[in-house]
Amino acid sequence: MKLRATNFWRHVGLTLVVLLAAALCSPLLFRVLRADSLPQVKLNADGIAPRSIEELTGHNVTRDYAYAWRDLAAASQSNRSDLLSDYFTGFAKDKLTQRIADQRKTGVTIRYTDHGHNVKAFFYSPDGGEMQLLDNARLDIEILDGGKVIHQETVNQRYLVLMTPGADRWFVRSLDPVANR
Amino acid sequence: MPSMLKPILCLAFVWCLIGAALAADLQVPAQVTAGTAFAIASSGSGDATFYLVGPSSVVKRGIKLGSEIKVAAAEVQAAGRYVAITCGSDGCSSSPFYVVAGDPTKVSFLLHPSRVPVTARDAINATAFVFDKFHNPVFRPVNVDFQVVPKTGPAFTKSVKAVQGVAWMRMSPTPKEGPVKVIATVGNNEEPRIIQQVASEACNLRITARRTAKGVEVQTDSVKDCRGNAVPDGTVVSFTAVDSKGRTTVDAPIKKGVARTELPITGNATISVASGVVIGNEIRL
Repeated sequence: MKLRATNFWRHVGLTLVVLLAAALCSPLLFRVLRADSLPQVKLNADGIAPRSIEELTGHNVTRDYAYAWRDLAAASQSNRSDLLSDYFTGFAKDKLTQRIADQRKTGVTIRYTDHGHNVKAFFYSPDGGEMQLLDNARLDIEILDGGKVIHQETVNQRYLVLMTPGADRWFVRSLDPVANR
Repeated sequence: MPSMLKPILCLAFVWCLIGAALAADLQVPAQVTAGTAFAIASSGSGDATFYLVGPSSVVKRGIKLGSEIKVAAAEVQAAGRYVAITCGSDGCSSSPFYVVAGDPTKVSFLLHPSRVPVTARDAINATAFVFDKFHNPVFRPVNVDFQVVPKTGPAFTKSVKAVQGVAWMRMSPTPKEGPVKVIATVGNNEEPRIIQQVASEACNLRITARRTAKGVEVQTDSVKDCRGNAVPDGTVVSFTAVDSKGRTTVDAPIKKGVARTELPITGNATISVASGVVIGNEIRL
C-alpha cells in the first residue's frame, strides 16, 4: 500500500516536471516573458551640458526610459494605449495614442523585439526641467495585420528624446525617430 | 530522410526568391516634408492592400498595383520614420522612408524662475523648443531671438542658434526691480514670458523710536536694497529690545515699504533691528 502511494506521487511529480519543461520551452511563454522584461539601456552623460547630471538622476532616467520602451512595446503589440500613461506625456503620448487608435481601426499591430539602447544625454537645462537624449536603438520590428506578418526588419534606429521630471519619475515627452547619418 | 530534405529546402528557397521577385516594388521618395502630399510608384498588377505605418498614424486601403499610390498631406503630418507596405496575391513588399519637419513656425518657451532678486547672478534661464506647424521638433539649426524688455532702461536682444531643436541662454537680472518681459521669437511666432525682479536683501536698515502710553513704537525707514529697490511688502523685519527684564523679539512684516511694531518697554532699553542676514542700527532709550 505504501509502495503504491509512493509510485503515485512519483508519477505526479514527473508529470509536473514534464509540464513545467513544456511550458518553459513554449514560444508563447518566451514571448510573454520577453514582452515583460526590461530593455537594456546604457546611458552616457559624459558630454552633457549646461548642467551636469547627478548619479541618482542618471540612474532614474535610465530606469524610466527602459520602462517607457517596455510599455511602448506592450502597447503597440496589444493595441492598448492605456499602457502609455505611466512613462509618456505630451506630444510623445499624443502621437503614440493616435497611432494605436489607428492600429485598432485597421487591425494592424506592431511587435518590437528590443535588443538594447545606447543613449547619449547631451542637454540638461540649467533648472533641471528638461533633458535631451540621443538613443541608438537596435530593434526587430514586425508589422502584422490580423496576426499575419506583413513587414519584418531589424533596424538600428536613432531617436531624439526629450524627458522631463515628474513627481516620482522621468517622463518621455518627445520621442522622434531621426534618419541615421 | 536527409536526402529528401535537401531538395525540399532548395525548392523552398527558390520559391521564396520567386515570391520576392514577383512582389510589387515600391519607389518611395528619400525624404518628404511633413504635411506634403506625394505619390509612391508601384510595380506589378492586380489588387493589393496598401499600408502606411508612421510615428502617429496607420493607414490601410485598397490599391491597384502598377499605378501611383497617392499619399495625402494629412497622412504624413508627423515627422519620423514611415514604412510603406503593399500586400497583393504575390506577397508583401515594403519600403521605409523619412518625413522631416517643415519650416520653423512655433516656439515653446520656458523661463525660470518666475521671481528673482536683482543681484542673483546668471539666475534666469530661458529655454526654447522650435517646432513646425504640426508640432514636429525642428532639428536643423535655427536662430531663436530672446528679446529682454525691462521695466526701465533699454531693451536688448540675444540671438541663440537652436541645436537639435533647443535654444537656451542664461542671464543675470537687470538692476531695477519690477516685471521684465522676455520674448522668444522664431520667424513670426513670438512667445512672451514675464519674470518678476525683486529687490535683494535690505541695505542700510535704520529705525526710529518714540515713547507711547503703552511702551515704545519702533519703525523702520523705507526698507530698500543697496541698489535703491524697495524690499517687497511681507518681508519680515525683527525688532529686538533688551532691558532690565531681559530680551524681547518681535517680528513684523514690511507694509507699504516700512515695518513697525510696539514694544512693551517702560524703562531704559536697547533696541536693534535685523532683516535676514542684515543688521541695522541700535537705539538706546
